[in-house]
Amino acid sequence: MPTKVLSVDDSKIIRMIVRRALAAFDCTVVEAVNGEEGLARAASEKPDLIILDITMPVMDGVTMLARLKETADLKDIPVIMLTAESGRENVMHIAQLGVRDYLVKPFKDEQLVEKVGRVLSLKPAAAPVAA
Amino acid sequence: MTTTATTASSFDVRAPIHAIIPNVFDTMLGLPLAPARADATRPGDGLITGFVGIGGENVCGAVYLHFPEALAQQAAAAMLGLGAGETAADADVNDVVGELCNMVAGGLKGLLCDAGLPCAISAPAIVRGGDYSIETSEDVPRQKFFFDCQEHRLAVEVHLKTN
Repeated sequence: MPTKVLSVDDSKIIRMIVRRALAAFDCTVVEAVNGEEGLARAASEKPDLIILDITMPVMDGVTMLARLKETADLKDIPVIMLTAESGRENVMHIAQLGVRDYLVKPFKDEQLVEKVGRVLSLKPAAAPVAA
Repeated sequence: MTTTATTASSFDVRAPIHAIIPNVFDTMLGLPLAPARADATRPGDGLITGFVGIGGENVCGAVYLHFPEALAQQAAAAMLGLGAGETAADADVNDVVGELCNMVAGGLKGLLCDAGLPCAISAPAIVRGGDYSIETSEDVPRQKFFFDCQEHRLAVEVHLKTN
């Protein structure tokens, strides 16, 4: 069964960038536009990895992550957080949330590929297409 | 576009803006930016402005990125990986401008928080139009910066009041 990644971001552009970067792997990408939808998709799809934005309407990424950690069959899914906020305090806060890794926007496709590959122990089948 | 007077702010955004914006454009778009003279103006076509609010107990304001339509289209094409001759839909252009503004505001927010001014940022919003200016209360310090990207000029406004 191919690896499945859930991308949760309210920005269509960022979801597209994630999908483009992950084309380097033999994986399926499913998407959600906010934390509430992300929780539902996580429950139904049981992804191998969640790439999660922080600032989203309806339910933000931090709340979604907390709900994931409270749910027995979802709490062990690794999460890579995406954040546009690069300050030391924000980075330290993210690190304490129980995420596997994080990536500060702006980022290059190659940086996301490297982090996803490390978390899932996957090697890219193809070089990511540069933006 | 009307240029408003610049007043002093207790948090100097000049250096952060000149670091953050070129980094965002280079990383996400592969487009180099060069600072332009602050009083330089170019006849504008339509503008697409992305803005993100910043708010906290001791800080409030907003970041505005004013894109000429052609630059916004170029940015969207770069981010979407469009080929020559392909045009991004208006909704995609809006999303790209909003996301770029979000990244700039996010970088600024991080620096404000690290400087002891904890704050949050809003979701980005978009304004499209021709000749317009941004008005705020007179007690809100505002600074305006310009960057050249090939033949286009990006204008950046930061309105920031700190206590």
